[in-house]
Amino acid sequence: MLSYIVFTLTLCAIYGLLALSLNLIWGGAGLVNLGLAGFFAVGAYASALATGAGAPVLLGWGAALAVGAVVGLLVTFATLRLRDDYLAIVTLGFAEVIRLVALNERWLTNGSDGISGIKAPLKAEFGTQNFALFYLGLVTLVLGLVWLLLRRLDLSPYGRALKAIREDQQLAAFAGKPVLRFKLQAFALSAAIAALAGALYAHFQSYISPDHFQPLITIYIFLAVTAGGVGRPSGAVLGAYAVVIFLEATRFMTEWVPGLQPVQLAAMREMLIGLALILVLHLKPQGILPEQIPKAPAPPASA
Amino acid sequence: MTQLTIDRRRLLAGTAAFAGIAGLPGLALAQQSGPIRIGTLTPLTGSGGPYGPVMVKAVKAVVDEVNAAGGVLGRKIELISEDDQTNPEAGVRAARKMIDVDKVSAILGTWASSVTTAVAPLCWESKTFLATVSGADAITQLPHQGYLIRTQPNTTLQGKKFGEFCIAEKAKRVFFVSPQTPFVKSQFDNITAAVKAAGGETGSLVYDDKKPSYRTEVDEALRFKPDAIVFGGYTPDTAVMLKDVYRAGFSGLKVAFGYSVNQKLIESVPAEVVDKTYTISPSPAEGSKAYERLVKLIGVASPDPYTTQIYDQINLVLMAIAFAGDASGTAIKDAVRKVSQAQGGTKVDNAVDGLKAIAAKQPVDYDGASGPCDFDAIGDIIDSKFRYEQVQGGKLTLVKIA
Repeated sequence: MLSYIVFTLTLCAIYGLLALSLNLIWGGAGLVNLGLAGFFAVGAYASALATGAGAPVLLGWGAALAVGAVVGLLVTFATLRLRDDYLAIVTLGFAEVIRLVALNERWLTNGSDGISGIKAPLKAEFGTQNFALFYLGLVTLVLGLVWLLLRRLDLSPYGRALKAIREDQQLAAFAGKPVLRFKLQAFALSAAIAALAGALYAHFQSYISPDHFQPLITIYIFLAVTAGGVGRPSGAVLGAYAVVIFLEATRFMTEWVPGLQPVQLAAMREMLIGLALILVLHLKPQGILPEQIPKAPAPPASA
Repeated sequence: MTQLTIDRRRLLAGTAAFAGIAGLPGLALAQQSGPIRIGTLTPLTGSGGPYGPVMVKAVKAVVDEVNAAGGVLGRKIELISEDDQTNPEAGVRAARKMIDVDKVSAILGTWASSVTTAVAPLCWESKTFLATVSGADAITQLPHQGYLIRTQPNTTLQGKKFGEFCIAEKAKRVFFVSPQTPFVKSQFDNITAAVKAAGGETGSLVYDDKKPSYRTEVDEALRFKPDAIVFGGYTPDTAVMLKDVYRAGFSGLKVAFGYSVNQKLIESVPAEVVDKTYTISPSPAEGSKAYERLVKLIGVASPDPYTTQIYDQINLVLMAIAFAGDASGTAIKDAVRKVSQAQGGTKVDNAVDGLKAIAAKQPVDYDGASGPCDFDAIGDIIDSKFRYEQVQGGKLTLVKIA
């Protein structure tokens, strides 16, 4: 049981990173990125390939960050003129492109066989049981650091400028904010975080394949950020934990329902997830932890 | 500067919710007393959705039968069924739950090759036995230390049979269409080898299995002027592909896998679309006693190969537990070949009879519904027959078993 909880919490933290990535770009700059699974995949493959070629794991994670940021920049350049729904569709397409490249470029990615035996850092030293604990600590620490960073960013002038762009990009430009540069930076940072999550996932599971990166995971993360509260890093992280724990808890809930076939229970789990989202949005439309807009500072008292 | 604003009530609610999960009932029973737990990890949703539910039904039927006859080692068998969603990420989560929470001795029936490859390391690390129906050649080459067997013949053999069949039907130009699967390359290479050996030509096209129409793909296939088209996909995409091939007026030989062109597909498309299509599949040992038993147990007239295979897997695992006198994954691993292929053993075709023979200290050689079920050192089956059928008037008609 303990190792199951450790496993689930590790996954929570990885989903949490993805949620932070989405929250930055969606909640911060207002760009809808449906290609999250694509950046997740890019990071996972980058690190798996780099460490597979003999690089140490830390370098692999660095590579994931770098490749993620570069790919993020490429996608933003390709979609400069797009906003809203159009951008969303293109990013969705991007994720599929990544999945199909991973599926068909066998020389690089080993096709649908996937890459197995990815190095787990220090696993031999720790042993299976302790490694799980160590890795949980590690990803939670990474999540904590990224959370702190993004929270800091959120409350800084930079974050305020991003939110101004989200609310009205023309007005922000008129106020002298370099809108394009902000968007590029935010997208690259967001992509890098998603890629880092992918790298952490790859070394956690030691196996990745194109099947891992179906759009389903993007949907889970949107669910997490929506439920947790768009525009607030704490909300995104809370949402991610809630989604993973809820996904797992439905396994046990359905055990209490008598007289159903396993296939009906499987369908019921998916219905419960949909129902939960509807309930959250109905009862707390802003999410569990709604965004906080800091009050403008009081003007200095004039005598 | 900043303050954290999770108030006390929310924090309590969150903590309580999490603690609630930890405290769910029925968890973490000791492995050596109480019921023996066996898990199935089949696709119940996603692209493998058509196959999983029947597979679970077959396992459940065997478990009920064995429990009614007194269980194994005096213990009841408890079945835990999880859904792998035909997705390795979800599959791993489900497997972790079964291994860590339910403490299953064995996991049966992983279907998609990517799910099997993702789940296999968890199994061998936790000393849980894994029996799979996935076909990718790479699976049995994983460092699984014996904790994995598969009942599906690997693709080298299957590809050869397809090529030889086309030649026997006088098709010299053979075109292979398939979605990107772990076995597409070895499948095509082996078809090509067989066709070239008889002086024929082959071509191939890999398509995306999630498209709603394949007109351009079919056009490309027909430019090759094939005498025969071999379909390498699964049921949903093959149904679309067959429709578009029919629409394009192709009248040559059509050959597909038995698991894709099945009764479900035949009923879901107009009769003329699929008429005269041949199917080849690793033959369930139709007519064998195990097969007849399975048909009666689950009330499905012609169970697909995966169902016959998982039926054999559960029988083998239960007998291995009885043989070893121990329900751990390691015991199953060490004993499974002693009940599947004991030299000169009593031939049995179901676990209930097998358990009686084992109790009487007789060696046992299981012959199952999917075939003889004999395994080599890395967990591949040694011998398999193939079954050739043709769709005639909306029904699969047996041509030959060879």
